[in-house]
Amino acid sequence: MTGPTATRKPVPVVAAGPRPGAPVTRRRGSGWQAYLFIGPSLLGVVAFLLLPMVIVLVLSLFDWELLSAPEFVGLDNYSRLASDGQTWHSLWVTVAYVLLCIPLQTALALAIAMLLNQRVKGVKYFRSLFVVPWMATPIVLGLIWNWIFDPRDGALNSALALVGITGPDWLTDATWALPAVALVSVWQHTGYNMLFFLAGLQGIPQELHDAAATDGATPAQRFWRVTLPLLNPTMFFVTVTNMIGAFQVFDTVYAMTAGGPGGSTEVINFRIFETAFKQFDFGYASTLSMLLFVIIFLVTLAQVRFFGKRTTYDLS
Amino acid sequence: MTKRILLYAALAAGAFISVFPYLLVVLTAFKTQAQLSSTAPWLPGLPPTTDNIAEMLAGDFPRFILNTAVMTAVLTAGQLVFTTFAAYAFARLRFRGRDVLFWLYVATMMVPSAVTMIPLFLIMRELDLVNTWYGLLAPYVLGTPYGIFLMRQFFKGLPAGLEEAARIDGAGPLTILLRIMLPLCRPALGTLAIITVISSWNSFLWPLIITSGDDTKVITVAIATLKDGIGVDYNLMMAGSLIALVPMVVVFVFFQKYIVRSVVLTGLK
Repeated sequence: MTGPTATRKPVPVVAAGPRPGAPVTRRRGSGWQAYLFIGPSLLGVVAFLLLPMVIVLVLSLFDWELLSAPEFVGLDNYSRLASDGQTWHSLWVTVAYVLLCIPLQTALALAIAMLLNQRVKGVKYFRSLFVVPWMATPIVLGLIWNWIFDPRDGALNSALALVGITGPDWLTDATWALPAVALVSVWQHTGYNMLFFLAGLQGIPQELHDAAATDGATPAQRFWRVTLPLLNPTMFFVTVTNMIGAFQVFDTVYAMTAGGPGGSTEVINFRIFETAFKQFDFGYASTLSMLLFVIIFLVTLAQVRFFGKRTTYDLS
Repeated sequence: MTKRILLYAALAAGAFISVFPYLLVVLTAFKTQAQLSSTAPWLPGLPPTTDNIAEMLAGDFPRFILNTAVMTAVLTAGQLVFTTFAAYAFARLRFRGRDVLFWLYVATMMVPSAVTMIPLFLIMRELDLVNTWYGLLAPYVLGTPYGIFLMRQFFKGLPAGLEEAARIDGAGPLTILLRIMLPLCRPALGTLAIITVISSWNSFLWPLIITSGDDTKVITVAIATLKDGIGVDYNLMMAGSLIALVPMVVVFVFFQKYIVRSVVLTGLK
């Protein structure tokens, strides 16, 4: 997960012990204490992460509606999945959502980071202001953006009216609802991602840019050939973590559209929630969870492959 | 020179867009119903009214805020304690199975929380903990793999000989952790605390699933039901939003350097 430069930093030598160069002392009797140290967190990982994964897998082979006894049905849920048009629709909505927000919020974050990386006065203040959206409670954000998108009195359509444009009914319009929800994600995550890009950019020595410029590279060439390749670890981290989050989007959808209008924003996580906690169809909901897990896993794997193929330059 | 002006104009526009929704919350929360329809959304209602805030505070909202504060405090305390111990062991102690266990932790970081919601609910149901504080807190109070990963990175970066002198003096791992390591950890712990506070305060799906009564209702769940209760009274809704957001804004203003530092902790700088 981490950038390749992370663990390779030379360890600073501090005269802490009397014999800095001495061989490592045997750690007598610290074994059982180490297990004590990791004990609670291991319990958490096993009981609340690994066990649930096993349960989801097992339950996906059962028909269980909570009140009746679970009934083993083999792969029935999976064949039901194959012909379940509504789920494939949800999947498509989720992919569309990811494609609407990830490229935009990543590109914007990088662009803002590059603007801030050129000896801007008050860079600290700008940096803070751009991160302000990140801490907002998503469910509260949903309400706020409902108000901004309100077709009659909302800020967006009121502003559009000033320049003579009649805005659409955003959240109740099947064409605009999904882009509107995606826009909220872009608004919330761009600034925080920018922090990572800014830190990455500041790690690139100015000499590299100067050398490229001396060799006659245009600003565009310098961006594609110097900056972007050197930001490879940052780009990897930002896109992987953002995509894993985006595939699971729930809160803003719940608050803004509840999957509507006409299922146009019914993302997969929302459908899992409805199947489990509205229809109490826990077996099938587990099958849907497995589907989401496999998709996220494959997408992450694809990104690992994609970024792994590209050369990473170690600057430390 | 014009390039410079354009640069600052672009940055100022971006900053404005970042802050505008918050501004809108404040403006709307202090408007009467009449001002809501008679003034532009981006203009204040004059004279401002505190009726909306008062109405929200008169209901069950303060109780839900208190519930959320309790949840946030417990989860953050648990995360800090258990994560510190586990991360220290993984980074600086030697024991059988250490690397295997650590890779297990890293692997669980990839498990989407959306996938574990249903089985977690069923586990809590089996233990008769649905709609209790235990059920609400248990899955997250023992620390998260992500937190352990961050803290392990931090411990790994500390000088190698640090524990040597204390160990020669016969100090055990616990003494070394508490006396020598902990004072050095303050910045990293601050970052971990801030991340945990914000994610706990904002958490919605798990509380929505596991709690139903008012005794354990948190602010996000209360906000979500607000919409069904009061329709499109945006001034009331924004008053509720303002109350829910203020604690996070305060946290942000005072501790934002720790948020910026979270970037460094991932080892990506």
